[in-house]
Amino acid sequence: MTAGLEIIAFAICAFIAITGALGMTTTMSMFRSGIFLMASFVGVAGLFILLAADLIGVLQIMMYIGGMLVMILFMVLVMHDPGGAMMAGMDMSFVERWFSKGLVPREPAQSGHAKHMHGDHQRGYNDHHHGNAVQPDEPNDRKAAAMRSGHGAHPMEHTDDDEQEGQVMHHSGDKHDDMDMGGMDMSMVTPVRPIAVWLAAAVSVVLVSMLLLRPAWRIIDAAPDPDSARSIGHLLMEKYMVAFEGAGFLILIGIFGAVLLARPSTHPDDPSRSAKVAIDERPEPIADDGLTPLAGARGSTEHHMHRHHRPEEHGA
Amino acid sequence: MGMIATAALVLVALVLGAALTLLVERLSTPHHVEPGPAQAADVRHSLVIANSDRWLLPAGPVVALTGVALALVVLPFGPGLIGRDLGIGVFYVIVVIDFVVLGLALAGWGANTAHAVEACYRIIAQLVAYVVPLGLAYVGVIMMARSLSTVAIVEAQSGLWFVVLQPIGFVLYLVTGLMQSYRAPFLEPFAASIGGGVLDVSAGWSALLWRIALAGVLFLVAAIGALLYLGGATGPLLPGWAWMIIKTYALMALMLWLGRLVRPFSTAQMLALSWKLLIPLGLLNVLLVGGLILLGVGP
Repeated sequence: MTAGLEIIAFAICAFIAITGALGMTTTMSMFRSGIFLMASFVGVAGLFILLAADLIGVLQIMMYIGGMLVMILFMVLVMHDPGGAMMAGMDMSFVERWFSKGLVPREPAQSGHAKHMHGDHQRGYNDHHHGNAVQPDEPNDRKAAAMRSGHGAHPMEHTDDDEQEGQVMHHSGDKHDDMDMGGMDMSMVTPVRPIAVWLAAAVSVVLVSMLLLRPAWRIIDAAPDPDSARSIGHLLMEKYMVAFEGAGFLILIGIFGAVLLARPSTHPDDPSRSAKVAIDERPEPIADDGLTPLAGARGSTEHHMHRHHRPEEHGA
Repeated sequence: MGMIATAALVLVALVLGAALTLLVERLSTPHHVEPGPAQAADVRHSLVIANSDRWLLPAGPVVALTGVALALVVLPFGPGLIGRDLGIGVFYVIVVIDFVVLGLALAGWGANTAHAVEACYRIIAQLVAYVVPLGLAYVGVIMMARSLSTVAIVEAQSGLWFVVLQPIGFVLYLVTGLMQSYRAPFLEPFAASIGGGVLDVSAGWSALLWRIALAGVLFLVAAIGALLYLGGATGPLLPGWAWMIIKTYALMALMLWLGRLVRPFSTAQMLALSWKLLIPLGLLNVLLVGGLILLGVGP
């Protein structure tokens, strides 16, 4: 019973770890990529817990949930396309398409186009919910086709909007055909990828065969320490104290450096550092708004000036 | 008791605790006060958001609720009334509650609306604000009890509650507990100015799961506070579980009442409060507790 449960738990944790790693490398959304990496580490933490190293496993979860979330936040701040909206419209392999399922391609900037694409999204969404597991999104394919073909070879069902888009794409850069995706080549279709895949497959075959061909595993019947937190604490604070405190000191120095970099400069009132806010100093008046003028407005517009002056003229 | 029975009992405890928490909170919230995470839920309708991420958005409430349910396992409601007495008990609680943050971030990003993504940023910034002083508030208790196990911490307070020995730690726990459970004055991620944040984009089953998870977080925070500082499930006359419930809800009422006396904090103010005031206070508390232990005070 217990052994069976252990094997099931191992299988679940290993599946999470491997699927997370695969999803991390293949999804188009960088946010999802971070989440997949987190899932992979949580799977590895599950393996630690199965090995009776519960403190290490829980430490791993703590480090990676908090740390990865903050890292994702900074990535979203800095990166070009964190949600994968642009990449989702590209030509993808099967695995990439599966791990990027449900991402919505970014709507193009043309105003007349947006409404049309929106309708397509809704249709793609419905397709998902009718359970077509690997059918690609319709808008994805159409947009990818439009991107690939320029304005030369459109399939029949393309509307005027798509035609327009193809022409815009073509005009935007004549090197369109050389740099595929018109300057948006983002390492998804690099020439080394097949080599990398074969290399990874070869390495995994070697690893698995080493595992299988290794003659005998030595099994020690020492029971794992149930109070591992205490022994790890003693190790950190006694035997490895210098290394532990040294690592802490290193992180402290890093924090100091970050604060130094983020500190306001010696000229905080430099005009180039001021926030650019688009508010008029003297806003245009709204004629006939039916409101009484504010007390603090003090005749900031000609309109009000006239209003204030007229009774005086009548009185005179 | 088999594993499945234990899990079922923990789930029952979670649902009952969360329901009572939600009731207390909704009854005690005046109309002119922002309800924050306890706002009314639309359970009858479902909601389809056009550009949402169809994996991350539904995963959010499930992940959050899983975290709360897992954390409840090590909570002792009396002698023997505990899911599992782990050797790393309270540290496990600290870690597992983080799944609530993860779930909120997943749903906020996945919803792909401006308000929800804003809520996602605020959630993560709030995590950065509270997680270090919260850990320091636990550390004093752990030092004195010489164990991470929840049962051992309760036993260590059989003579004197830790709230007497570590008042600074208790205050620190009240503040960081409010931050961790997103209750006023730290309800910036669920503020009405962004339409309730993640709750704005949930309806139907996900709204229900969010309410259980968020009320469960408050319940858990109050229960852990009662466990760490108020002696947990011990007391005269009444049985242990009754004392645990009384202490939990009394602490919850205290936290909610104190929280409403203060103006709501923005996320930046929370970070400033945390790094300029709470962390130095926490370090001071650890220092004082170390001194007390050297003097032979406490268990």
